[in-house]
Amino acid sequence: MKNVWIAAAAMTRFGRRTETLENLIAEAALEALHEANCQPDALVVTAMAPEEFVGEGNFASYIGTYLGLSRTPAIRVETATSSGAAALYTGFALIASGFHSRVLVVGGEKMTHVSTPRVSEIISRVIDPHERSYGATMPALAAIVARAALAKGLITETDMARVAVKNHANGARNPYAHFQQPVSLEEVMSSRMVADPLRLQHCCPISDGAAAVLLTSKPMELMLAGMGQGSDYMAVRYRSSLTGFRATQDAARTAFRMAGFGPERVQVAEIHDAFAPFEILALEDIGLFPPGKAAKAAQNGELTLEGRLPVNPSGGLKARGHALAATGIAQVVELVWQLTGRAVGRQVKATVGLAHSIGGLATNNWVTLVEKVV
Amino acid sequence: MEILAASRCPDCGWVVAPPVRICPRHPVEMLPVEISGYGYVLSYTTLMVAPEGFKPPLHIAVVELPGGARIFCHGKETRALKIGKRVAVEQVDGIFYLASLDIADRVSMFWKRRGAAPARTTGALKSAVKRFFTVYKNGGTTPPTENDTAENQEEKDRRPIVKP
Repeated sequence: MKNVWIAAAAMTRFGRRTETLENLIAEAALEALHEANCQPDALVVTAMAPEEFVGEGNFASYIGTYLGLSRTPAIRVETATSSGAAALYTGFALIASGFHSRVLVVGGEKMTHVSTPRVSEIISRVIDPHERSYGATMPALAAIVARAALAKGLITETDMARVAVKNHANGARNPYAHFQQPVSLEEVMSSRMVADPLRLQHCCPISDGAAAVLLTSKPMELMLAGMGQGSDYMAVRYRSSLTGFRATQDAARTAFRMAGFGPERVQVAEIHDAFAPFEILALEDIGLFPPGKAAKAAQNGELTLEGRLPVNPSGGLKARGHALAATGIAQVVELVWQLTGRAVGRQVKATVGLAHSIGGLATNNWVTLVEKVV
Repeated sequence: MEILAASRCPDCGWVVAPPVRICPRHPVEMLPVEISGYGYVLSYTTLMVAPEGFKPPLHIAVVELPGGARIFCHGKETRALKIGKRVAVEQVDGIFYLASLDIADRVSMFWKRRGAAPARTTGALKSAVKRFFTVYKNGGTTPPTENDTAENQEEKDRRPIVKP
């Protein structure tokens, strides 16, 4: 297996964007190509539901043609809300296998032009049909997980609120973030209830945006040191534990095994905080904290930009935003900026970064490790 | 007590309700079984923002039934629920709900669901009739609400699979 390196990384600002999806994708893709100053020999495209949100099909060819790369082999990858990480994995595999030597991985989503109930309906198709027939939405399933975690004493309502406060504080320093204003603990804890016990300010927003990474077989400063995928029952009710995600645990184990090091070397992490309690649960599932210790670490400020392990310096899904298929790639873009000293205003000191992405309600998860090779 | 259709894996013995063709744990065809509609609450939520076709507040609970089958079901005030609480569930038109709901709750529960008005009306009616006869059989009183929790009942839960 060949080593895989990151030649360039770029993203658009996330948020309510007026551009079309193909223009957002082009913004990120062209910037990455410009930075790497080369042409890709393969293209991996991802968007979770372009057929529904923007009415486009045959999406890999559409984007290939739009980017002026119609002769470059293009493929579309989709694993619900972790599609960006899945695309990265596909690009990784194309290079590691020796099939290609420069792969442009690009993903985006455009949703804010669609009404919120309709967006919720499209996103909720990632849920098991039986559970969906009870009106279960992503916030509903996340609330069922949060309720079980609260009852087990793994988290408190203040811990959940603290995640949102920290990530908004980080987002306020990120010019690419959807939300660039801080929120207070009181604002989070008094925001309106969405699905008891989850409030509006525990949930990520609906964002537009795109992100791109150019992977290469040529040794560069940053190596994609390990990637792992984990999966679980689509039906949440089949799982033996509601409070830990097997898909994250398996993904982390595989990624660390591939990288040849353990969680102790990780110095910065981008975690899939689509719902605030998920950040705390993921830190334990990945092994960055022992079971039951992540909430305590957050209370002690260990997860802030100045802390022992900065988590979601970008602002996470909560503040940087969640443009579905763009998110998994944007997390790695943030790691690239952090590891190369380009995260102006929110820079942390790190040589190893981790990205964690959840597809559906943790049915198809990914852990990615990026290492700066000095 | 309500008897519910479920399926059981011939390999691992796991029970799934409503029945599915293939065991989610193995690529093996499952066998039909019946289980009693009596279990305990694993978790729950109240949606204040309901998806298209549903009306908030929408109450959803996850209940574990005998044999390890877990179902989603509708409730009334999920705030009165507790994780581990023993509950009875009923089923009308493939929809599970807590048997403790009274007639008014049942009508409102069916009315909040997605679907055509006639289907919702017959669902509510069937459920209300079920409730009426349960109360009638018990000599005018509602069945006792169960307060015992998962811990002392877990052993019993595993046993009463009615008909393999």
